[in-house]
Amino acid sequence: MSVRPPTLREKKRYLLARIDPSGIAVDPKDLYYAMYEAVVSLFGDMAAASMQPSVLTVEDGYAILRCRRGAEREFAIALSTLTSYRETPLALRIRAISGTVESLRERLEQYGEPETVSKVPDTTEFVFASVPVEVVNWNGHKVDVIEKGFKNTRRLFLTEEDLERNHATTIPDGV
Amino acid sequence: MMITDACVRPYPAGDSSVRRFALEARSMGYDSIVADGVPGVTLPGITVIPGTFISGKPARDVQSITKKYRGSGTVVSVLMGDNGFNRAVAGTSGVHILRGIGAADKRAFDHVAAKIAADNLTAIDIDLSVVIFGRGRLRQKAIHRYQDLMVLQHRFEFPVTLSSNARSVLGIRAVREVAGLCSLFGMDEQDIKSAFAGIETVTRKHEPDVRVIP
Repeated sequence: MSVRPPTLREKKRYLLARIDPSGIAVDPKDLYYAMYEAVVSLFGDMAAASMQPSVLTVEDGYAILRCRRGAEREFAIALSTLTSYRETPLALRIRAISGTVESLRERLEQYGEPETVSKVPDTTEFVFASVPVEVVNWNGHKVDVIEKGFKNTRRLFLTEEDLERNHATTIPDGV
Repeated sequence: MMITDACVRPYPAGDSSVRRFALEARSMGYDSIVADGVPGVTLPGITVIPGTFISGKPARDVQSITKKYRGSGTVVSVLMGDNGFNRAVAGTSGVHILRGIGAADKRAFDHVAAKIAADNLTAIDIDLSVVIFGRGRLRQKAIHRYQDLMVLQHRFEFPVTLSSNARSVLGIRAVREVAGLCSLFGMDEQDIKSAFAGIETVTRKHEPDVRVIP
């Protein structure tokens, strides 16, 4: 089928969404399935068909999504009911809606890359609620940790102030 | 006007600390959150209001429990039961919020209970976690209850609160997203504004409309 001239093409809207929690690898195809399930379960097949939701790209912890113009409000509502991806808890935070992908990419450059765990000193061990924890993501005051030493560990969402620091140099001898 | 999330459940009930909840809520446009089971604290840009949740107690016990929290600034919320229980609790002073209408029986909250709630400024909570996390019958039932609640609310004008009931920061939604979700069950902009300010409405001290001067 030949490509339609621009005046006959359907108008689209593009959404920039931050993926929470940061630092997890997301496959665009699986994200599409999760997103489509959220749209269909809330609005049904008819609305999903006219909405035409799709995932364009996932990069730097952000996803660029697309829908038909005029359906972006319903699409955003459906996205707020997206709660998991491959049985991992996940949330999409919509940061911008635009008529072109280019302007969303400019926005993405403004937001910049999130801080990473590499800024945490290696010699520091952290404790939360008397349990040693491992830092998996550090972004400003926000710190994501995983409990150490348990089989079914869960991700905890904390702040810098919640963590107690055990410096290797301050551990007493004989312990 | 304060914009409040009427219920979050921080660690140990959930996986996020109360400070993290506060940070995330502030970035999503809230002025305050009600956190169950933690002391109140004011952080830059956001207030954490302490809350307590009473469930599975008879109405008489609810009365005695609420006395303990009187004047402490704690938001007292009670899980809905049958119609008689809801009428009794809606008229109990010290009870700020009735929760769980999304899962309650369709006759649990009727026009009489609505009138009592309006007279005593007891809010009815709209729990958005059912709409966000629920699927199928569970969510359909909740949306139907909320639509029905809004019909009564427009008639009797009792306070309504909005809560994410989030156990994780991933469960909180931005103010704009909450407004979108509320539009699913017929809340207009004015309804949403007053629902966000619902906690302020039920916790502020009211001057009586008529004062008897001897």
